Amino acid sequence: MAKRTFAYACSLASLTAILVASVALPSLAPAQVRGPTDPGVRGGAAGAGDPITGLTPEEGAFFNAAKVVFGETEVVADGLGPRFNLDSCGGCHIQPKLGGTSPALNPQVAVAKRDKNTVPSFITADGPVREARFVRNPDGSPDGGVHALFVITGRADAGGCNIQQPNFAAAVANNNVVFRIPTPTFGLGLVEATTDAALRASLAANSQQKRLLGISGRFNTNGNDGTITRFGWKAQNKSLLIFSGEAYNVEMGVTNELFPQERDETAGCQLNDLPESPTPVVQNDELAAISPAAGFQADAVLFAAFMRLLAPPTPAGATPAVAAAAAPTSTQVASASSVLPAAGGTTSTAATSTTSTTATVTRGGQVFANIGCSACHTRSLTSGRSSTAALSNKTFQPFSDFAVHDMGDGLADGVSQGAAGGREFRTAPLWGVGQRIFFLHDGRTKDLGQAIAQHASRGSEANQVIQNFNALAGADKQALFNFLRSL
Amino acid sequence: MQRLSKLGAAVSLAVTLAGVLAAALAWRYGETILSFAVTSATPDPQDGRVTGDIYINGYFGLSYPLPKGFAEGLAGPDPSHSGYYVLANIVSHAEGGGTILVAAQDTFFDEAHRDLAKAASETRDTMAQIDGMSIDREPTEITIGRPAAARPAWRIDFNGVGLYRAMIITEMRCHLVSITLTVPDSQARDTLASSLDQLSLAAGPDPPVCIRDYATGDQLIRKVAPTDMAPSPVPIPARIIIGSDGAVRHVHVIRATEGQRKAIDQALRQWTFKPHTINGRAVEVETGLALRSGGKFTSTN
Repeated sequence: MAKRTFAYACSLASLTAILVASVALPSLAPAQVRGPTDPGVRGGAAGAGDPITGLTPEEGAFFNAAKVVFGETEVVADGLGPRFNLDSCGGCHIQPKLGGTSPALNPQVAVAKRDKNTVPSFITADGPVREARFVRNPDGSPDGGVHALFVITGRADAGGCNIQQPNFAAAVANNNVVFRIPTPTFGLGLVEATTDAALRASLAANSQQKRLLGISGRFNTNGNDGTITRFGWKAQNKSLLIFSGEAYNVEMGVTNELFPQERDETAGCQLNDLPESPTPVVQNDELAAISPAAGFQADAVLFAAFMRLLAPPTPAGATPAVAAAAAPTSTQVASASSVLPAAGGTTSTAATSTTSTTATVTRGGQVFANIGCSACHTRSLTSGRSSTAALSNKTFQPFSDFAVHDMGDGLADGVSQGAAGGREFRTAPLWGVGQRIFFLHDGRTKDLGQAIAQHASRGSEANQVIQNFNALAGADKQALFNFLRSL
Repeated sequence: MQRLSKLGAAVSLAVTLAGVLAAALAWRYGETILSFAVTSATPDPQDGRVTGDIYINGYFGLSYPLPKGFAEGLAGPDPSHSGYYVLANIVSHAEGGGTILVAAQDTFFDEAHRDLAKAASETRDTMAQIDGMSIDREPTEITIGRPAAARPAWRIDFNGVGLYRAMIITEMRCHLVSITLTVPDSQARDTLASSLDQLSLAAGPDPPVCIRDYATGDQLIRKVAPTDMAPSPVPIPARIIIGSDGAVRHVHVIRATEGQRKAIDQALRQWTFKPHTINGRAVEVETGLALRSGGKFTSTN
C-alpha cells in the first residue's frame, strides 16, 4: 500500500506559485512596445482544483480521500520503479492546483538528483515535466513507447537492482526522441460522461465551417468495442480508469490490476509481489476515516475518482459554483480583468496594462470563433446521463471536439496510437489555458503566440486558421490572447 | 494571347508531371480546352499543383491562373477518411493580401448527401450563427469559368473581425469543390473573386459517369477481398473507375496506410462489372466504396 505523504505536493504548489509569478511578469512588460503579446499566466486564485458542485456528501468524502492518494509520494515498497518518470501523480499534475499540469519548477530535476540519476538534456529546472518516447527501435521499426527517465538503482530502498537509464544523449543525437507533458485533468468526469453520439454530433455540426478552413478531423476509437477514446494527447485512452492505470505503471512503474506486469522485468529489480497496487481486502483505515468507500479501493480507482469529480477550470470572473457551465461572459470578465493580480498574490501593473478589459475579452471571443479556432476547439458539449448526478446532463465548455486532427510536420511526433497517426493530435481542451505555463504536447513554448504559430506547417489542418490569425489587426490578436488567458 | 500561351505551356508541364498520358491541349475559340483520357496513370483529386503561376488539377480538368502576387502556400493535410481534400492553399506575397483555399468534398462519403444548394445554404447558416459574423451576400447562383465551359456554382459572402470572405462552390465528378477567398476588405474580395473568371474547366471528352453505390449493386460480377491487410479502426474510402469493358481501370484508395493501400488496390483491380451503357453505348463509371473492419466492402455510407 502506498505511503501517504502529501507534504511534497503542497510544498511544490507553493513553490510553483512563486515561480509562476517570476515567469509571468517578464513576459508582460514587452507588450507595451512590441504589439500583441501573450499576457502570461493569469494570476489570482487558481480557478481549479475543487470538486465539481452538486456532489452528495458521500461523493464529496470519496473525492477528498482520492485527493490524498493522488497527491502521495511513492517509494519502492509501494511499487515505484524499477523505471519511472516521477514518484507521484501530484508532482506532474499540479499547475495551478492538484490535478493540473506541469508546474514552473520541474520536480523531475530534484528527484533525479536525489536518486543519483543523470538529468537528461531535455529536462531542465524551468522547463516542463516531460516523458520521453523513442520514435523508432534500433532496427528501424516503429517504437513510440515511453522510455522512463529514471531508475531506482542506487536508492536505499532498491536492494540490489542495477539497471541503467536509457541512452537519451544518443536518442537526442539521432533525433529519435519526442516528448509529452502532463495533460490537465480538471473537468474530465464531464468528458467521460459525454456520449459518443454527442461528440459525433458536435463534430458534424460545424462541418461546413471546417470545409472553408481545410479542416476535417476524426475520432480515435477503441479497438475492442469501437467507441470513441478521448483522453491523452492522441485521445488514446478510453476511460479515466485506464488513463490512471496506464500512468501508474508507465510514469511511476507501479503495477496495478489494469497493468499488472512490470515494464522492466530485470531479475534483481523485482522487489514486490504483483500487482503492487491491488484492490485491498483489508480496509485502509486512514482513507476509511475520510470515506468508508475509499478504504477498499485500489489506488488507480481513486486516481480516476479524483479526476472524475474535479470541477472544470473556472474562467476569470466566473463563479466557481457554476463552473460546470461557465465560460467568461463580458460582465463576468470585467470583475476579474480590471485588476488582475499576478500569481503569488502580487498585483501586476503590467498585467492590467495588457490584459483583459471586458471589451477585449469579448472581442477576443469573437475573433476565436471568426477565424476558425472554434471549428476544432469547440466551445460547448453536454454530458449524458451519469450515475453521478453532478456529472449528469451538464453543459460544459472544454473548447475541444476531442477529435484528432492532422497537425502537420511541425508538430508531428511520429508516434501512432490507435487510429491517431504520427502527425495527428487530439484538439487540446483550452479550458484553464489561462493558468497554464507550457503549451503544445511537448511543452516547447510558454508563449501563446508561439503556440498558435506552431499550429501551421506543411500538412496541418490548421494552416488556413493560422493564416486568418496572421491577417488580423494587432488589436484583434491581442484580444484573442486576452480571451485565451481569461479561460 | 501571350497569357494563353503561357497557360498552355504550364498545363502541358503539369500534366506530364502528373503522369497523365493522354492530355491534349487545344485552342478553340480562344478558350482552353483540356481533354483527359482515363489511363493507368489517371490523376486523383489531390494531384493538382501550382506550376508557374497556374493551379492545374488534372482530375477535375481545372486550371486557374493565380491572381498577380499570389503563390502556393503551405500544403494541406492528406485526404481525410471522409473524402475531404485540401487541394490548394494559395497565398498573397504581400502581408495581409489574402488567401485562396481550394478544397473538395467527395459526395460519396458525405454523410449528409449534400447537393450544391443545400451545401450553400448550410454554409450560410453556419457562418451566420458565429458571433460577430455578418452575411454580405446571401447564397447566390452564379456561373464560374470561361464561357465555353462555364459551370453552375453558388457564392456566399460574409465578414467578421476584419476578414472578408467569399465561398464559391460547384460540383465536379461527384465532389463539391469549394474556393474560399479571404481578404482584408470587401473591395479586395470582389477583385479577387473576379480572378475566377479566368478559371478554365475541361470541355473535352466526358469524364467517367459518377454513380453512387455502383460497386455494391447487381452490376458487380466478381468480387475479391483484400488479403494480408492490417485492420483499420475506421472505414477506408476508395474510388474506382470501371472501364467500358467492365474491368477496374483505376483504383484510388483515398486514405490508408501504405500496406492497406496496396492490399486494397490489388483486390479491387480484380473486380469485374457488367459494362454500364448510356443510349446503348458502354461508358466508363466512377464510383466509391468503403472497406470496413473485417475486410468487408460496403456502400459509401
